[in-house]
Amino acid sequence: MDNESGTDRYPSPAAARVLPTAATSDETSSSRRRLGRAEWPTVDGPLGLSHDDSLEHARRFFKLGFLCLPFLWAVNCFYFWPVLRHPNSHDSHPDLRRYLVGSAIGFLLFAAILSSWALTFAIGGEHLFGHVWNELVMYNVAEKYGLTGWI
Amino acid sequence: MEQNPRPRTVLETLGEEIIRIVTPVSICMLSVVILVSILNGDPSSGGDLPVTTMATIAYSESSSDSTWDKLKGALLNSLVFVAVVTVVTFLLVLLFYLRCTKFLKYYMGFSAFLVLGFMGGEIALLLIQDFSFPVDCITFAILLFNFTVVGVLAVFMSKMAIFVTQAYLVVIGMLVAYWFTLLPEWTTWVLLVAMALYDLAAVLLPGGPLRLLVELAMSRDEDIPALVYEARPVINDSGPSGGVVRRRVWREGGDTDDNQGLSANTRSGLASDSTPGTHLSVGIGEHERNLADAEEGRVPGGDSELTTPLIQHINVRMNSSENAVPSENLALEGIGLGSSGAIKLGLGDFIFYSVLVGRAAMYDFMTVYACYLAIIAGLGVTLMLLAFYRKALPALPVSIMLGSQDMMNCCQLYDVLLLFWCFLSFSSRHVRQSNQHDYRVGISRWEAYNRVC
Repeated sequence: MDNESGTDRYPSPAAARVLPTAATSDETSSSRRRLGRAEWPTVDGPLGLSHDDSLEHARRFFKLGFLCLPFLWAVNCFYFWPVLRHPNSHDSHPDLRRYLVGSAIGFLLFAAILSSWALTFAIGGEHLFGHVWNELVMYNVAEKYGLTGWI
Repeated sequence: MEQNPRPRTVLETLGEEIIRIVTPVSICMLSVVILVSILNGDPSSGGDLPVTTMATIAYSESSSDSTWDKLKGALLNSLVFVAVVTVVTFLLVLLFYLRCTKFLKYYMGFSAFLVLGFMGGEIALLLIQDFSFPVDCITFAILLFNFTVVGVLAVFMSKMAIFVTQAYLVVIGMLVAYWFTLLPEWTTWVLLVAMALYDLAAVLLPGGPLRLLVELAMSRDEDIPALVYEARPVINDSGPSGGVVRRRVWREGGDTDDNQGLSANTRSGLASDSTPGTHLSVGIGEHERNLADAEEGRVPGGDSELTTPLIQHINVRMNSSENAVPSENLALEGIGLGSSGAIKLGLGDFIFYSVLVGRAAMYDFMTVYACYLAIIAGLGVTLMLLAFYRKALPALPVSIMLGSQDMMNCCQLYDVLLLFWCFLSFSSRHVRQSNQHDYRVGISRWEAYNRVC
């Protein structure tokens, strides 16, 4: 049909005819979704990185995370969530997924270790640690070194 | 899958953009109120600030002084503060003119590090002490380190998850605002008014530093290195699909000045001197047309008046006599529009709105609620003014005026404004329907351009 009816956005009975332009765009988008392709690698969609830049970005974050920064790994996984969700995406580089899976595993591992230590410390308390607990707990450390006196 | 999706009208997109700005402002204000009510509830507290900051260098308020003395001292403090901020703003303009943007960016990252690391750490420690939370120092150190480093990266890097960047900017605003609420009472109020006046001057006067800065940035088509909260742009279905949406477009001229992107990343650091100058520049719903213009490379001439986004310049420097942690942070705020029509709001706006509400929280919660409504009404009024005038306007004065008046219990004014605001939002639904025709005309014209190119 001509473009004029293509721009007619009021739903009307006359618009029951399938318009070629609208139909093809519908088909491509739904087929992409069926195949599970991530059109955009980042969670920001068209505002985020393109496929070429995202590999470099993911690699940098993955490597920086080894400096005791698991939060960077988490941010990496969050940012490239569509790539993690659709494993058989053909658009993205295969290495990208490797970095993301590595980041995810690293973050989960680190979180497990840290939370187990923190919970042991909090729940165990003095019974488990003895008087070392009083020396390690944060509010005593803050008092000892006067860390809250700056404000 | 609908075959004929209903077009998003001008007012729908405008409403969504306003929501995307009002939400983070509200979150920031709410967190400051919570912090203030947990950590210090006394209205006259803050008079014995252990650190001599830039805001109290002229006069340290003590509760035994008379009212007149306090007022004089507060005025003196504010004058010193505004003077220092003006000087630092001009310094920023000079540095930007000399193209030292690398230095400015590093400075921004450094001040973000200080705010998040030291301020954030201290407030976390205060909270831990208050609640006797049994966290050990190793876990605390790791968490704080992670939080700080990711925050610095979010501020530094332009391509980071938008949500993470926005969250960190709100947190930075919250921390600095909390710090400001620790100032003596009279100094805080007079400082707010002084900053609002400075904002007016710096943005609207031809020689104002913020105006100069924006004109420089626009003429060079560069980003100003400053901390600015950028709301996620509303992507229109009818807009050009495919291709990465550009975040920034500079525009000259008064007609299609809608897509002014002031992506200024301001560093807001701890400081007693801050000059907020907020500009609001909103191009309502003409981003589609502007995108078409941008793709054609057409710059609308005619009106040579530059629409400068609202910029608030905040120079924060903490000169403590006891511990040498000086941090000079240039906080530049501005409300502008990105290339896709996103609204940008400077961080100084967040900070000073939250300071107002935080101070109100030291009294009681009804005051907080009233001030919150006044500020949101002021923000809405400023956005509307921006839409009408299509040039940079200071965003602080209206909100601060309404908020302060609320504090002094002039409740009738904000009631009237609130009614006005509600009336507008209801009537906009009727306006929306009549705009359908204009919208369609605009779209078909754009498609005509596309075919020609």
